[in-house]
Amino acid sequence: MIQDLFALIFGVTVTVFIYSFLWKENPLSRAVEHLFIGWAAVYTLASMYDAALTQGVWGAERIEGGNYIWIIPILISLMYFFFFTKKYFYLYRYPVSIVVGIMAGMMICGMIQSNFLVQIQSTARDLPLVGAGVWDWSGGSTGIIGLNSLIVIIGTITALTFFFFTWEHKGAFGVSTKIGRYFLMATFGAAYGSTVMARISLFIGRLRFLYETTYEEPTYLVNAWYIIPIAVICVIIMALWMRSKPEEKPPEPAPAPKPEKPKSKG
Amino acid sequence: MSTSSIAKIDRRYLYILLFIVVSIPLLSPLKLPIPLGEHAKRVFDKTESLTAGSVVIESFDYGPSTRPENYPQSKDHLFHARELGLKVVALAFWPSGAPIGEEALREVYGSDFPDIPEYGVTVVYLGYVPGAEVGMQTFADNCATAKGTDHYGTSLPSLPLMQEVQSAEDFDLWAEWASGTPGEQQVIQFVQGRHGGPSAVPIVVGATAVSVSGMMNFYISGQIYGILNGLAGAGEYEFMLNVKYGYPYEQGPSLDAQSLGHVLILAFIIVGNIGYLLTRSKGGKAK
Repeated sequence: MIQDLFALIFGVTVTVFIYSFLWKENPLSRAVEHLFIGWAAVYTLASMYDAALTQGVWGAERIEGGNYIWIIPILISLMYFFFFTKKYFYLYRYPVSIVVGIMAGMMICGMIQSNFLVQIQSTARDLPLVGAGVWDWSGGSTGIIGLNSLIVIIGTITALTFFFFTWEHKGAFGVSTKIGRYFLMATFGAAYGSTVMARISLFIGRLRFLYETTYEEPTYLVNAWYIIPIAVICVIIMALWMRSKPEEKPPEPAPAPKPEKPKSKG
Repeated sequence: MSTSSIAKIDRRYLYILLFIVVSIPLLSPLKLPIPLGEHAKRVFDKTESLTAGSVVIESFDYGPSTRPENYPQSKDHLFHARELGLKVVALAFWPSGAPIGEEALREVYGSDFPDIPEYGVTVVYLGYVPGAEVGMQTFADNCATAKGTDHYGTSLPSLPLMQEVQSAEDFDLWAEWASGTPGEQQVIQFVQGRHGGPSAVPIVVGATAVSVSGMMNFYISGQIYGILNGLAGAGEYEFMLNVKYGYPYEQGPSLDAQSLGHVLILAFIIVGNIGYLLTRSKGGKAK
């Protein structure tokens, strides 16, 4: 289908345009950025609108089927639009407070249970100083599980002491903060490594799209990489055009307002 | 090369070098060996342990920006589920995940999806379920309340598979393909935490590599049963499927490219640090 061919050409072109940002920020890369943000916003809006209708209006168990209870959430959500009026702005606060209240209630229970209690439980359970496996450092099939727990406990406590500024970081407390700093550095290092891995994966995904995607018809075949030179030529023309244009000077900062003189009495 | 010239290398040369190094294995695969990680193996083993007819949730909670990592993970797992005769309820708590989920289902169940005989019996696609965390919790409590119809407008109670499953307890595995919020943490908090814990709602996650280090504590505590770590995790999973079911192993060149890319970045880091240390030892101000 011709739409597929168009999608292929468009996909390759915008990919090359967006990567031209690595050379220098230019109107083509900026245009694609804006296009992406605009499209994402419109797509999300349309999906939400469609979901609201599917969720509350259409269907046997919704308003269409006589279940009028669904009018209440729809009316509450429509109150968001009072944000745009000065007179009834206060009504906008009702849906916001309902959403904040529900989320706070849900989050507090969920977070304490899964992110706090279960984490402490799991660390304490595997600690070799308590429970059935006292001094059993083998940790069964998983190896040095007890040692892992000890490292987690030491790391948590020392990293927390690093952010404790009431006492000066000296003496035994200073040693603790220093150890905590090493734990934090190791954590950031691991996060950095993962980030590099993720970014390269995304780059590989784009390259595979450029190298492997094809559009096939009985009489002809279009490989995605056929389009790359055309897109690159567009970027080069843009580069030449930018070079020929005199560089725009950044606008001068507005002068700071002069402090008002105190009015003299009398 | 003097120390100052190391510091002054134009970053664009590094980009070109990375582009060349990553392109080589994509154009001519090196077929480097794949060491299978424990995380991916646990996802595979958990799925294998399910008996035919068990119900699996496939939640497509990602967008186009992380597609290169998440799409192969989710597609491979869908294939695995189909191969084992598992029943699949697919959905997305992200609006942008809905079309991607449909695409994966079409690729695995055939381009005629959902006009296939097994639709509604062994596989259902609910599409986008609105409400993010609230939607997730509502779905876990009562599936039909969270969404009245499937992605194609069919009422949920009229689908035989949805008559079998009412809430999270009725699912045998929750496969979460995630790259943000709502994602695996919200499933743990609002689904698993409220419905009997890890033994009642086992979760396997396919995540972007950038977020895996943040979820390791949930993995160690057993709240997450297994993790597919980015593209590498997808490659490992695909390799296991290839060995057992002859599934096409497409991620080989990507993993080769990733390995070479990492080696190059390590080299950049080493060279950069040498430059930094030399500049500092000569009394210069390191930038």
